[in-house]
Amino acid sequence: MPQWFIRGLRRGVVTTRYPARPDPSASTLPGPPAFRPRALTRAVADTLARVCPSRAIARDRGTLVFDAGACTACGRCRDAEPSAVIWSREFELAATDRPSLVKRIQLRGEESQ
Amino acid sequence: MSPGGQEQAAAEDLRHAVRRQFGRSLHIRTLDTGSCAACEQEIRMLAAPHYDLQRLGFFFTPAPRHADLLLVTGPMLRAFAAAAGKTYDAMPGPKLVVATGACALGGVYQPDAFSYGSVGEVLPVDVWIPGCPPSPLALLQGLLVAVGRLAGKVSALSFTVGGEP
Amino acid sequence: MTALALFGAAAGLWALAALTALLAGPPKGAVMRSCCGLSALGGAAAVAGGIAALLSGDSRVVSAGGSAAAVLAGSLQLQATSLSGVFAVLLGVVAAAIALYLPRSGKEPSAGTALYLCAYNLALLASVAVLAAGSVVTFLVAWESMALLCYVLIVHRPRSSEVAGGAFWFLALSETGFVLIVAAFAILATKTHSMELNVIAARARLVPADWRDTAYLLALAGFGFKAGLVPLHVWLPAAHPVAPADGSAFLSGLIVKLGVYGIALLGFRLLPEGPAWRGVLTMAAGALTAAIGILYAMGERDIKRFLAFSTIENIGIIVTAFGAAMTFLACGQRALWAFLLLAGLYHVLNHGCYKTLLFLEAGVTEHAAGTRDMDRLGGLARAMPRSGVIAFIGTLGIAALPPLNGFVSEWLIFQGLFQGFRTHSALTGILIVLAAATLGLTGGLAIYAFVRGYGIPYLGMPRTRQAAQASERGQPVAGPALLAVACVALAVGAPVVLAGLARGVQTATGVALRPVLLPGNLTVIPAHTKFSGFSPTYLTVFLLAVLVVPALIYLAGRPRAASVTVPVWDGGMLAFRARMQYSAMTFSAPTRVTFDALYRPSVSVQRASDDPAGSSGPVHYEAEATPVFERYLYRPVVRAVEWVADFVRPLQSGDVNLYLLYVFVAVLVAYLIAAL
Repeated sequence: MPQWFIRGLRRGVVTTRYPARPDPSASTLPGPPAFRPRALTRAVADTLARVCPSRAIARDRGTLVFDAGACTACGRCRDAEPSAVIWSREFELAATDRPSLVKRIQLRGEESQ
Repeated sequence: MSPGGQEQAAAEDLRHAVRRQFGRSLHIRTLDTGSCAACEQEIRMLAAPHYDLQRLGFFFTPAPRHADLLLVTGPMLRAFAAAAGKTYDAMPGPKLVVATGACALGGVYQPDAFSYGSVGEVLPVDVWIPGCPPSPLALLQGLLVAVGRLAGKVSALSFTVGGEP
Repeated sequence: MTALALFGAAAGLWALAALTALLAGPPKGAVMRSCCGLSALGGAAAVAGGIAALLSGDSRVVSAGGSAAAVLAGSLQLQATSLSGVFAVLLGVVAAAIALYLPRSGKEPSAGTALYLCAYNLALLASVAVLAAGSVVTFLVAWESMALLCYVLIVHRPRSSEVAGGAFWFLALSETGFVLIVAAFAILATKTHSMELNVIAARARLVPADWRDTAYLLALAGFGFKAGLVPLHVWLPAAHPVAPADGSAFLSGLIVKLGVYGIALLGFRLLPEGPAWRGVLTMAAGALTAAIGILYAMGERDIKRFLAFSTIENIGIIVTAFGAAMTFLACGQRALWAFLLLAGLYHVLNHGCYKTLLFLEAGVTEHAAGTRDMDRLGGLARAMPRSGVIAFIGTLGIAALPPLNGFVSEWLIFQGLFQGFRTHSALTGILIVLAAATLGLTGGLAIYAFVRGYGIPYLGMPRTRQAAQASERGQPVAGPALLAVACVALAVGAPVVLAGLARGVQTATGVALRPVLLPGNLTVIPAHTKFSGFSPTYLTVFLLAVLVVPALIYLAGRPRAASVTVPVWDGGMLAFRARMQYSAMTFSAPTRVTFDALYRPSVSVQRASDDPAGSSGPVHYEAEATPVFERYLYRPVVRAVEWVADFVRPLQSGDVNLYLLYVFVAVLVAYLIAAL
């Protein structure tokens, strides 16, 4: 009991101050991917759609449809196409309507739709 | 703004005003509709000293009668849908529903004979929190968005890097 | 009118009621109503007589009967004392309530019922004779008649081995107690050379100390059989379930109190002076009885057995108070002696009221729902609202919750016990505190037990169709309602009741409690000022007032919109069945597991086959609490008696010549003794 008390005093307050101040651990969290549109060809987009186990990535003609809500941050898309996908380091992803989580990213060389 | 748009905006304002009633005192009832319990682990960590949701005025309660917010995980198994509906009905209004985890948002499992695939098929969801599982910080942000203390960021995110193709 | 005249009027009315029942034809309609009306009037007379006896003190002894009395091998001497006055008030209230209950209690208009009513009214008569007895012989004759008539009451039901067994336990233990009581009175009568109770009390100092203590112990055991002290209590749970509801109410409401009257008679009136160990022994017996009684009550599903064990618990509380009183007297604390006698008598009144009420309600339940098993009931408060409310008042009383009468009397007893430090003896003080601690445990368990006793049958959902279809139509409500009113009156009017009791106690003990006990403005102070005090009347008023504030808030702040009705939250189950509720045994399981050294449960599980998945057939599960006293105390005694009987049997050979030899030998021996 005394050791616990002393240890607690030495360690100080561990409670996060989020949302008043950003939490330092946020940068280590896994999160959804971010895409480089310059690297997104149709072939790359099809590969990404095929490897995603959660159906978060799909290709709709010239657009990559990314459902951030369905993403499990498994990392297979990054392993398959490391040049096109990096971690976004975003964790504040709450949305009040479901469609706002579905992002449409224009593929390289396609006209905007 | 069109009349329909005005009504929608008014409804949204009302919803926002209702949510703000819960600003500093919110009782949360968790509901697992068939998840792998990873989301439950993260939700549990909210009560631990590191995240401490009680400092924000949020509390867990087991009784839907005492709950303001229903925190739902899991892909809404069909076998559970009736119980989920009963839990929602047992909560007195005003009430909020927050769906969290990729399963609850429609990812991972397709709708089939065993699950609806998404919580939104059965319950009216107010806030969606992605993640697999969502970290406690993400959950905190989601809950604060639900009560109107934080604004949602994700609609402004593009998930792209490096500008134009 | 004097108290004795009122007792005589009550006795006459009850005799008339018995005759009406016996001779006027089948007991239905007008005959039943007139019989019960006479019985109720007799009750009213008994109450009036009791109050008169309390207020006016001991009357003189009246020899009644003349030549008719000589038939009883002694004179029939009657006296109304203040001590008996308390019990007479209780007798009257119980008689009136049962009389109001009887007409609608579902008894068939048959000759058996006529006999039952006759026996019941004669038992009332015998009870008032016990209370009004002024001499040893009168007391013993009245006592034995009362016991035999109660046997008739118990055995009235359609015959079954259970009924016969319960009635036999009652009779056997009653007779054993009677032998001990006769022995006690014989000692006193021979040592003081008188049969009159007044004279015995005056000459108590003539009795040598060890005879005096022996007489008291014999009386404690003898009356303890009737009162239900552990381990002499086994007839209570055996006899109560098999007697009709009003019979059980009479037994628990009055007859066991006559046992308490006997203990009070010997302990306070005839032999007040005594060593401290006598009081400590009584107190210990009472405390043990209370704890064991309520612990066994926890394991009962049958409502009547449950209430029987609760009676044992309350008798334990009363006897603890009496024992502590005697201990205080032995240590010189006369004020606390009188005070604990007062508190014990007040608890007698209170317990008589709410226990009778609960037994009558158990009868209503049995009649309406067809079963006494708590696990087959449920939701009765909704099906029978008036009975639910009345039973709730009785439950509040017996669980000793404020503001009702059980709380007041138990509070008084506790306050008396807490002043154990005034004995100035460390050992005695510690023992008194231990008794108080045991009573505290008992009180907590009693609340738990009665949450179960009221919640399982009356609240929740009906567990069977019979319980769902229970209806209040045609059920008696006046009798129990009278007792409910009495309970509330005893609580709110506690200062008045205690003033009357204090007058009676002053006559019995010579200690004037009233100036300190009731210093005016409706407060009650236990024995010594600056220790504690409270006002039952103000407490009731305060509790009611406190309820008004939330009610006003609700009425003022009620939402204007229509409210929504949603189903009860049942955990989201799709098919909530009534059997999924708590059952009586699961509710008390934590206590039974904690105390399983007392219960010694024996569990047997039988499966149709050894299939561990249990899917091959029904599983038979049986769990039983070992009947500790029956098996380890009574059965050896019975076996010993049977062994002696076997040994002596050859004497009864049936041979006339051998019998003539016995006569000859007896005459010879008698001559030899006379000659020597």
